[in-house]
Amino acid sequence: MPHDPYKALYIHLPFCKHRCAYCDFTTRAIAPDSVEIDEYIDNLILELRRKANEGELAEIETVYLGGGTPSFVGQARLSKLLYALGVFMNLTPEVECSMEANPDSLTPELIRDIYALGVNRLSIGVQSFDDGLLETLDRIHDSARAKQAVLDARERFENVSVDLMCGVPGQTPEMFEADVQTAVDLGVTHVSVYPLTIEDHTPFRRMVDSGEIDDVDQDKEALMMSMAPNVLTPAGFHRYEVASYAREGFECKHNIAYWTGVPYLGLGISAVTMTQNDARRMRVQDGEVQDDLDRKQMCAEDLMMKMRMTRGVSDDELFAAAVVIPGALDVFNSLVRDKLVKREDGRWKPTFGGWLLGNELYGRIYELAP
Amino acid sequence: MSTDPKFIRNFSIIAHIDHGKSTLSDRILELTGTVSQRDMEEQLLDTMDIERERGITIKSQAVRVAYTADDGQEYQFNLIDTPGHVDFTYEVSRSLAACEGAVLVVDATQGVEAQTVANAMMAMNADLEIIPLINKIDLPSAEPERVKGEIEDGLAIVADDAILASGKTGVGVKDLLEAVVHLIPSPEGNAEGPLRALIFDSYFDPYRGVVALVRVVDGSIKKGDEVRLVNAGTEILVEEVGARHPKEVALPNLSVGEVGYLVTGLKDVSQVRVGDTITSRVGGVTEPLPGYREAKPMVYTGLFPIESDQFEALKEALEKLSLNDPALEWEMENSHALGFGFRVGFLGLLHMEVIKERLEREFGLDLIATAPSVEYHVYKTNKEMVSVHSPQDMPDPSEIDHIEEPYLRATIMIPPDYVGAVMELTVAHRGTFKTMNYISPTTVEQIWEIPSSELILDYFDQLKSRTKGYASLDYEFDEYKPGSLQKLDILLSGKPIDALSFIVHKDKAYDRGRVLCEKLKDIIPQQMFEVPIQAAVGGRVLARQTVRAKRKDVLAKCYGGDISRKRKLLEKQKAGKKRMKAIGNVEVPQEAFMAILKVDE
Repeated sequence: MPHDPYKALYIHLPFCKHRCAYCDFTTRAIAPDSVEIDEYIDNLILELRRKANEGELAEIETVYLGGGTPSFVGQARLSKLLYALGVFMNLTPEVECSMEANPDSLTPELIRDIYALGVNRLSIGVQSFDDGLLETLDRIHDSARAKQAVLDARERFENVSVDLMCGVPGQTPEMFEADVQTAVDLGVTHVSVYPLTIEDHTPFRRMVDSGEIDDVDQDKEALMMSMAPNVLTPAGFHRYEVASYAREGFECKHNIAYWTGVPYLGLGISAVTMTQNDARRMRVQDGEVQDDLDRKQMCAEDLMMKMRMTRGVSDDELFAAAVVIPGALDVFNSLVRDKLVKREDGRWKPTFGGWLLGNELYGRIYELAP
Repeated sequence: MSTDPKFIRNFSIIAHIDHGKSTLSDRILELTGTVSQRDMEEQLLDTMDIERERGITIKSQAVRVAYTADDGQEYQFNLIDTPGHVDFTYEVSRSLAACEGAVLVVDATQGVEAQTVANAMMAMNADLEIIPLINKIDLPSAEPERVKGEIEDGLAIVADDAILASGKTGVGVKDLLEAVVHLIPSPEGNAEGPLRALIFDSYFDPYRGVVALVRVVDGSIKKGDEVRLVNAGTEILVEEVGARHPKEVALPNLSVGEVGYLVTGLKDVSQVRVGDTITSRVGGVTEPLPGYREAKPMVYTGLFPIESDQFEALKEALEKLSLNDPALEWEMENSHALGFGFRVGFLGLLHMEVIKERLEREFGLDLIATAPSVEYHVYKTNKEMVSVHSPQDMPDPSEIDHIEEPYLRATIMIPPDYVGAVMELTVAHRGTFKTMNYISPTTVEQIWEIPSSELILDYFDQLKSRTKGYASLDYEFDEYKPGSLQKLDILLSGKPIDALSFIVHKDKAYDRGRVLCEKLKDIIPQQMFEVPIQAAVGGRVLARQTVRAKRKDVLAKCYGGDISRKRKLLEKQKAGKKRMKAIGNVEVPQEAFMAILKVDE
């Protein structure tokens, strides 16, 4: 179908040194010198070339290398991939180019190389600065290594983000607050706070089922999620999405694309591509259509996703949506009545409670056009 | 050509549930060549899916079989299969009234059970000749001698010559057919007299209207006759008569002593009630055959569609089912909590379950059933009496002088080991012990008087579990008696929810209220806000529980691919909500309304 140009590019690198106990991402533990990784990178480069020839990379504004553990594939392979990327698309400094990294494999040499080749944002999977919790999570780095990795990254990168987890078995609210404080002290510009979710088919799920660890305490997670701003707000961070905090100007543009209905191209195993025009939106993963939405569904989905973000939707956006889905205004008014949404300065924004009860909030908008 | 009554045998097969009645009937059809083995579907006489699944018979059936006996003579057998559950006692009694004899089937491994006794008593009251038959003798655990003893001791029926048979292998079936010829009397009646025929079942056929199953007592009946129903006063032009083999075959007439079907062309099955008498419109009798009574519901429940737009569909479905089920009574009910629905009366709990299941399965409805209730007689201070079968219709306590509730006479059969357990359970359910008889060394019969309202709680399930499944139960309506009864209200978030209220004995109010609050706390999922649950009588709170507010419910990660995943999650969440009913702003799952049935004591 004729489609709007892709604005965001995602590249998936499904390799790790080790699979952590909570992880259900598409990745696998593999030897670092395995030729499979080389073959995979070569295929990605061919795919990039093909997409470039088709003109699909012409308007890309953000690039995200995710995984797996991109830093695990090493300097040489990453250099090859990034070099190709720079050849096939216009990788100017204005393009946000993020890469995920683990403290374990984020060496100063690697940092220098990827920086030189156009990566301008690093997202480090720290999870915690507490050695005990890192062990529980079955991470391969310790607290000292995590801190050093962040400091090394800061040598080159202005834009450094860390992921922190809350609700980990054994984690107290005080421990969580200390982790957030450490991140701030290390000078990061962005923090993502994820409540631990026990996913099916993970070691954690089996441990919960066998009673080895307790299931997630939703109330405790809620408490911790609500504590993050205590440290982050005074430090100059603002919460721009349910799980994302940034200093002014350091919001992740790539993720914002996901939350605002911008079409994106995904390359690599399990990467999702969202292709759309005014009337239809499709999401395809590994050659399979995951969703095929009509205009109404698209419109409801955009409203739903935008409500993840602090700024929510504007009056104009909502009124325009209400032309396509007549029930939209009623639903938003009911959300305001139930205090999941507040209306402020001509915008409809999620409340703190609305964020915590996201499934209720998103669910009601979703049901406008399921 | 009419068959000489001398060569007609009308009989029924009676048994406790699962003692093999239907299989035995099938073997008779097979052995007499009525149905070839090739055409034989398992248990031909039970026709509804639900009947087959549950192994019970709800509607009566009549099959005509031609049997050439050892004496060379061909006999006309009319085999009448009767409903096999205590809910349908009246229908059984009318089917038996159409017979001269009954084959009493007793399982060779189980022996005499409650319904064996109840059915045998009914057959004896109908003056039937009883042929005892011990079934399933092919089973290794069969104990025919012990069972014979139980039949003789418990039922006072001579069982020395009881037929030993197996419906499964066919052993003894031939002996049974010969016994029917020699032991069961031929029908007596006046062939020339004015027409009298007994209706023992009726059903609605979409192409021909109401069809009645009849037994001609006097005279004869043919197509084109103008007849009248003595009790209902309905007049009918007979469109067709015939017999079932079991396929229907039209006949020139049904003569004295014969059993068959009669096509009325009427559209409403309630005009052709079981037990009514057919006579000629001109020159007929005025006195009906004895034993007629109107089917009276014993259990009432509210049925409400979960989606309010299914109200019309529910109404149409009830209308359709009523065409074939005159015992089904219903009227519109408006609940504050559940919206528009129907208060439906049933003959018993099984009847209720079957109808609810059919509504959901055959008509695709999603229903909420409220806790079953009985019909209370409320005497008001102004001397007026009102029948109340929905707690929400209960008058204000200040207007009530006293309330009477229906009592049942229950017959419980148990091995002697469980006498104590049953005593304890039944007393806890406000039962009054009447008497106890030792039917045999292994079987005790207890007679109790017990309020119907207690029986429709989980009494039967508990009886079964406390006796490891050995107990069997039979009951009939006894009388109305005064009781200290009150309406217990359940409040969610401070508002009384009419659909959750129920009527309870004063001494039980506190316990039931407390346990129900606990149950509801587990059943009602966490909502966005705290939900207090209270049980109260007349504004006085007896018990309280709280469903705590849900604080967090969100998947925080959200990358490109997670959007599809989130959609799936929200779709699942939506499906879950569909099974709940929003009352005010509280989402209440279906099972909450039946929670009172599961209040263990």
